[in-house]
Amino acid sequence: MTDRSFGYTSLLAAGLAACATVLVSAQDWKTKSPTAAEWAAMAKLPDFTGVWEAGRPPGQAAAAGQAGNAQGAAPRGQGAPAQGAAGRAGGGRAGGAPAGPQLTPAYAAKRQELASRGAEDNETANCLPPGMPGIMGQPYPMEFLLTPGKVTIVIEAYTQVRHIYTDGRPLPSDPDPKFFGTSVGKWEGDTLVAETVGFSPLTQLAANTPHSDKMRITERFRLTAPDVMTVDTTVNDPEALTAPWTSSRTLIRHRDWTISEYICEENNRNYVDAAGKAGVKLDK
Amino acid sequence: MVRRFSRLATAVAVAAFLSGNAAPVSVSAHHSFAVFDLTTQKSIDGTVKQVDWTNPHVWIWVDVPKADGGSETYGFEGMSPNFLARRGWSRTTLQTGMKVTVQYRPLKDGKPGGMLVSAKLPTGLLLTGGGAQQ
Repeated sequence: MTDRSFGYTSLLAAGLAACATVLVSAQDWKTKSPTAAEWAAMAKLPDFTGVWEAGRPPGQAAAAGQAGNAQGAAPRGQGAPAQGAAGRAGGGRAGGAPAGPQLTPAYAAKRQELASRGAEDNETANCLPPGMPGIMGQPYPMEFLLTPGKVTIVIEAYTQVRHIYTDGRPLPSDPDPKFFGTSVGKWEGDTLVAETVGFSPLTQLAANTPHSDKMRITERFRLTAPDVMTVDTTVNDPEALTAPWTSSRTLIRHRDWTISEYICEENNRNYVDAAGKAGVKLDK
Repeated sequence: MVRRFSRLATAVAVAAFLSGNAAPVSVSAHHSFAVFDLTTQKSIDGTVKQVDWTNPHVWIWVDVPKADGGSETYGFEGMSPNFLARRGWSRTTLQTGMKVTVQYRPLKDGKPGGMLVSAKLPTGLLLTGGGAQQ
């Protein structure tokens, strides 16, 4: 009898322990109410406030701007998160040949297979947001909000929001796949370093290029002039890439701008069908 | 001079569209330009029937007189209102009843409409993907 009750007790204890383990691992970090000191400490951080859009620093010539964006050996290939935005603002491309991500044979084959389908468009034509890393390279502005324990990026394109937790919480070991992944950040001097893991298979590493569930993105945000921010983005994916893929983007602060809404479904007349055929609806 | 400026504005607008489209996953203003014949530019004169100041793109509907009488409504897709509003083109810049000359990349399927390259008002105001310029 004693043995039996001990057995039940052990079972109960084990069950409770298992529940507790599950709860701890599945539950997000518990946020605390910020202290006055933590609010005061915000004033010492670099001023990321305001609305930013990809562009070239005022007065900087195109070539210099592109060289400045290229950041040495960093590949700036087609599909680089920085490419389109910089190209849009500058109306030009970097001088060197586009390098792009260096893919493993398996992922090079996947890209070739996807490209060979000849799709005229992708699901963004149907208003599906691109997710990471593409969402950070849209030709629309974004706003940085700094609060104790968190950096929030309000992205105008598709009306999206990223949450980068700077309260010391760890990255999840087994994250649910998400369009933006799950991000934590820390300040290294005046640079915000964000690490992101756990991406939805519906997002792509670059055009026609899937990623594995091991993709990890490191972003380094820093002010390089009063209204100029440099964002260095490194994509690691041991299954898809033979080397980390780094690109750099310049954001310009527009003090006279506010973020607007972008409800893609409001009046979207473009579409792409399952076969990849693009179309436009004049009647709606 | 005006013509040169017009071409420049057009080039900037198209470059804005195209370079955006070249980047990752979709950096375009949300879609590709596969439905438009980018090798062709057409021009028509008409009267603004309606302006959809909406995301993800503004749509300008223009009534164009037909040779045999009556008119046909063309639809032109522009940039997003967010993008344009920051560049001098507001919700009320183009209004119903205004006469416009529209330069556009036609729809490949031959339907009446296309990608707006520019809309020019009798006042000389030129509206492009890059905004409004006098």
